[in-house]
Amino acid sequence: MLVVRAIREQDLDGLLALAELVGSGMTTLKPDRKSLGQRVEIACASFAEQIAPAQRDYVFVMEDAALGKVVGVCAIKSAVGLDEPFYNYRIGTLVHSSKELKVFSRMDTLYLSNDLTGCAELCSLFLHPDYRQGINGKLLSKSRFMFVAQFPHLFSEKLIAEMRGYQRADGRSPFWDSLGRHFFKMEFDRADDLTSLGKKSFIAELMPRHPLYVAYLPQEAQEVIGRVHVDTAPARRLLEQEGMHYEGYVDIFDAGPVLQARVAELRSLRESELAIADLAAEEAAGEQSTLVATTRMQDFRVIAAPAHARRGRLALTAQHHELLGCRAGDAVRAMPLNPKKHHA
Amino acid sequence: MTHTGNAMFVVRPVETADIPALEALATVVTPGVHTLPRSRATIERAVERSIASFGAQPDIPSDESYFLVLENAGDRSIAGTAAIAATAGSSGTFFAFRNDVLNQVSRDLNISHNVHALTLCSDLTGYSQLSSFYMRDRRGAGPEAALLSRARLLYAAVAPHRFSEKFFASMSGITDDEGCSPFWEALGRKFFQMDFLEAERMIEGARNRTLIVELMPHYPVYVPLLPGEAQAAMGQVHEEGELPFQILSDEGFEPDEYIDIFDGGPILQAHRNALRSFSHSSRRTVSGDACGDERTRCLVATARENAFRAVVADCICPELSDSVALDGAAMRALDVVAGDSVLCVTL
Repeated sequence: MLVVRAIREQDLDGLLALAELVGSGMTTLKPDRKSLGQRVEIACASFAEQIAPAQRDYVFVMEDAALGKVVGVCAIKSAVGLDEPFYNYRIGTLVHSSKELKVFSRMDTLYLSNDLTGCAELCSLFLHPDYRQGINGKLLSKSRFMFVAQFPHLFSEKLIAEMRGYQRADGRSPFWDSLGRHFFKMEFDRADDLTSLGKKSFIAELMPRHPLYVAYLPQEAQEVIGRVHVDTAPARRLLEQEGMHYEGYVDIFDAGPVLQARVAELRSLRESELAIADLAAEEAAGEQSTLVATTRMQDFRVIAAPAHARRGRLALTAQHHELLGCRAGDAVRAMPLNPKKHHA
Repeated sequence: MTHTGNAMFVVRPVETADIPALEALATVVTPGVHTLPRSRATIERAVERSIASFGAQPDIPSDESYFLVLENAGDRSIAGTAAIAATAGSSGTFFAFRNDVLNQVSRDLNISHNVHALTLCSDLTGYSQLSSFYMRDRRGAGPEAALLSRARLLYAAVAPHRFSEKFFASMSGITDDEGCSPFWEALGRKFFQMDFLEAERMIEGARNRTLIVELMPHYPVYVPLLPGEAQAAMGQVHEEGELPFQILSDEGFEPDEYIDIFDGGPILQAHRNALRSFSHSSRRTVSGDACGDERTRCLVATARENAFRAVVADCICPELSDSVALDGAAMRALDVVAGDSVLCVTL
């Protein structure tokens, strides 16, 4: 049985082992003991509410309870862009029109922006390859929305998630090749490495400061703006189910989309509900999977269980209680794992 | 066709009687040259405007436009045209792309490099603009080509208050056999949504129309983002423009700062102090022809604002004297007599 829970200091070794599997492309999970150690420290202080809300970094691990092993990780960073500038391109529109010539050109433009400064970021999601099955990925990704639903006051700005951008089969980014390359004179991987070292803002200093017309870019580069990497498409769908959406902000390197939502727009704010946990002798048959979360910030926990809240009560097995670290009579927050199907 | 090398040519202001000849010229002009009036109506307008401009007494350069013709003094045929406008943006703002260098620096990464960008600008609005240069027989042209082109600047030297201190001339950029411009394809087409020649036709070759600011990009265009073909076309002159480009370069014009917003052709520009017709010309008094002394091939222009005329002449103009000895033919062509004042500059 799997549980997603607030990270603890003793999870560092497990996290490090997991980070070894990540490979390149994920900038916030490099297998480096020192930087990961710092991150865990900040995360623990965040859940303990020992540091200011804007500095918090809520890191969650997914644990295989039977083995006591860390098999997944995800995080919510409280606010981006407060230490160093956070850059995106915003897709804007400029209309060029001449009545005299009867020409009306609606042009997409890329504006370098810091608009998303201060937003909370969903990031650092990684699931051990052996566990990529069933509803595990959903549980890991969506557990964060349960946290936000429980503590909405901590997320006053928008919530965002940067999605990995489109790459060709050979791993090259058409957007980078047509744009960034001309301004950095370095390969994408090198730029990406610098980004992971926290030097993204330095790189942005080299980016065009003036708005760019999308029409200047080759067709291939135009087409990938706002498109995700093939491997990232499922992750995007999950976030979209939860109310996140693309509003025209993209990564300055690979033009991957930024998904965003105001907290009030999240499904978890509307559809999750508090209930009293009851002890059930066995798992309910025929129930849909439900995300069940505890209501404490310290040792926040989420599981997926076949259960359904009725009249403010939720029946859970003893094993579920154990995973959640709660007892009958405790308050829990519950939400169906999958959104209701909307039929036309 | 007779060889024109020895013919006497004179540059003079256009007259109403020239209209039929100009109309005939316009029918043979190649598509790339866009500043020459084409239709009867536009030719008539240009001629009327020129006559009014020469007749005007402007305090400051305004919307005057002076249209000159190259006349074969032998058969009185029109061999070419050239014009100069007092200000380029007289009826609006004159737009050009300025070649800018944007310096991008990241101190922390210790990287610094320059990015070439084109910025839509109106810098040239107040400049005087040379335009409509056309030679009927471009390939066989002799010194009369330089005479025709530079006579405009000699007139500006004679009547400096009618012109700006700065001058420019826009050269046609490169196009292929179908009249397709690689620079236009990469830029203008995106905004105008039409072919290059169609756009030129609609805008009548002008660069001072409001619709330009309505349609063209206001933000710098980063050159590295343009296709290679378009980049290669920037600042390159159409083969039709090689002769005037050479003449004006020799005169002292510089091509590097601006390019045309449509076809990327070079825009030659200069302050008058850099131009030979200003800095190397001298005002001299005409004396009767003399023999024996060494003759220099010069451009000689009348020093009067009205009935302006200019010729190429082999004349005697000693450095330490302020007179010039002209032969009878030159004096007749210039319509001057001994004692009159002229402007001379070596060819």
